[in-house]
Amino acid sequence: MSQMVFDEAPCGPPPTAGTVTRGSARCAGALAAALWLAVGSLTHAAPPGAAAGPATTSVPATIPAPATTSAPGTTGGHVPAAAGGETAPAPGPGAAGGESAAQPGSTGLDQEIQGLKKDVVDLNRDLFILEEELLFPANTQVAVFLSLDVGDFFALDSVQLKIDKKEVINYLYTPREVEALLKGGVQRLYLGNLKVGPHELVAFFSGKGPNDRDYQRGASLRFDKGVGAKYLELKIDDRQRKLQPEFEIKDWE
Amino acid sequence: MGGRCGGSGAAVRGRLERTALALCGLWLALAVPPQSDAAPPPYALIGAAAPDFALHAARGGNVRLSEHRGEVVVLSFWSSRCSGCRTQLTALSRSFATYRSAGLKIYGVGVDDDAAKALSFAKSADVDFTLLLDPEKSVSRSYQVDNLPMTVLIDRNGTVRHVLRDYSTASNGLYLQELRALLNE
Repeated sequence: MSQMVFDEAPCGPPPTAGTVTRGSARCAGALAAALWLAVGSLTHAAPPGAAAGPATTSVPATIPAPATTSAPGTTGGHVPAAAGGETAPAPGPGAAGGESAAQPGSTGLDQEIQGLKKDVVDLNRDLFILEEELLFPANTQVAVFLSLDVGDFFALDSVQLKIDKKEVINYLYTPREVEALLKGGVQRLYLGNLKVGPHELVAFFSGKGPNDRDYQRGASLRFDKGVGAKYLELKIDDRQRKLQPEFEIKDWE
Repeated sequence: MGGRCGGSGAAVRGRLERTALALCGLWLALAVPPQSDAAPPPYALIGAAAPDFALHAARGGNVRLSEHRGEVVVLSFWSSRCSGCRTQLTALSRSFATYRSAGLKIYGVGVDDDAAKALSFAKSADVDFTLLLDPEKSVSRSYQVDNLPMTVLIDRNGTVRHVLRDYSTASNGLYLQELRALLNE
């Protein structure tokens, strides 16, 4: 559930296994879909007159239709060009007129692969956004972020988060994650859904305080969840006057 | 009808004897333990992505598995009550000293309920790698630990590749063989 969002942390930790596996599975699925689309368009574009006939019920017949007409999708820009290059090399429209036959073939293939890769990345991004919109709609979404400033008086070890007295996450921080936070990274600690109305957020911070002593502090915030998404930030700061860390929960209006 | 009734005493007795014998046979079949050389059930996580976790280390700090993508990771599950675990951890420590520079990470995951016992065991264990504490057994549950000591080998892509469910000289040889293969990939 948690996911690191780093602003300027190139050496930050990689995402969690859950996100990696979901992402890679999505990538694999999207790649397979894109390849299938390309293969489908190539094979169906070869006999142009015959394939267009029964294109009403079967799935492979309906898929190539937008590809050959190059209508709206992102794949339309790349796939028809390749299909045209393979099926009708002679009446190519101007671009490859004076070139030899071998060179356009290899460069065309490279461009096609690049186009497919771009399509996969775009598709993956769209799917990720769609997944977030579906799982966490804006009217119920609550996101809790964590940021760490300076950190001279507190070495973060873990954060436990409770919403309405129910534990929603208990996150352990590794030295690399703390380092990334100290460099200015902001972590999305929790993303969930809440009903409209009053709620209470309690956060317990554990770690090493001044003089390397075990240190545990809590902070709480009562907030009203409206119809829009709610963003809260747990902020750990150093209070220089008291030589103590300060824990604050901010409501991003 | 009457003849049948007259002769039914012996028949009923015979039927009862047969039933009793069958029940005895059934009871024996159920009571006899299975052969010890029966193969253990296949490990379900082989070929699957290793479940990610973050645990406290016995010497302080936390460890997250996903931060070690790109390295070969060995997880060894141990307990302070397990007699063979100490021997195995020592053997793992030797392999860690040998292959550390080749990108090997070894973590011992303690599954003791009692954190104090696990801590004292971890402090007394003479190993160079990090020992982690899993008193809630969330990690051992996700790795389906059914025997101690148990060793799981994870490749550089984060996929579970091998599991060793005991410790012996033969299994240690197999472990080294599989470990070398993973490090060479």
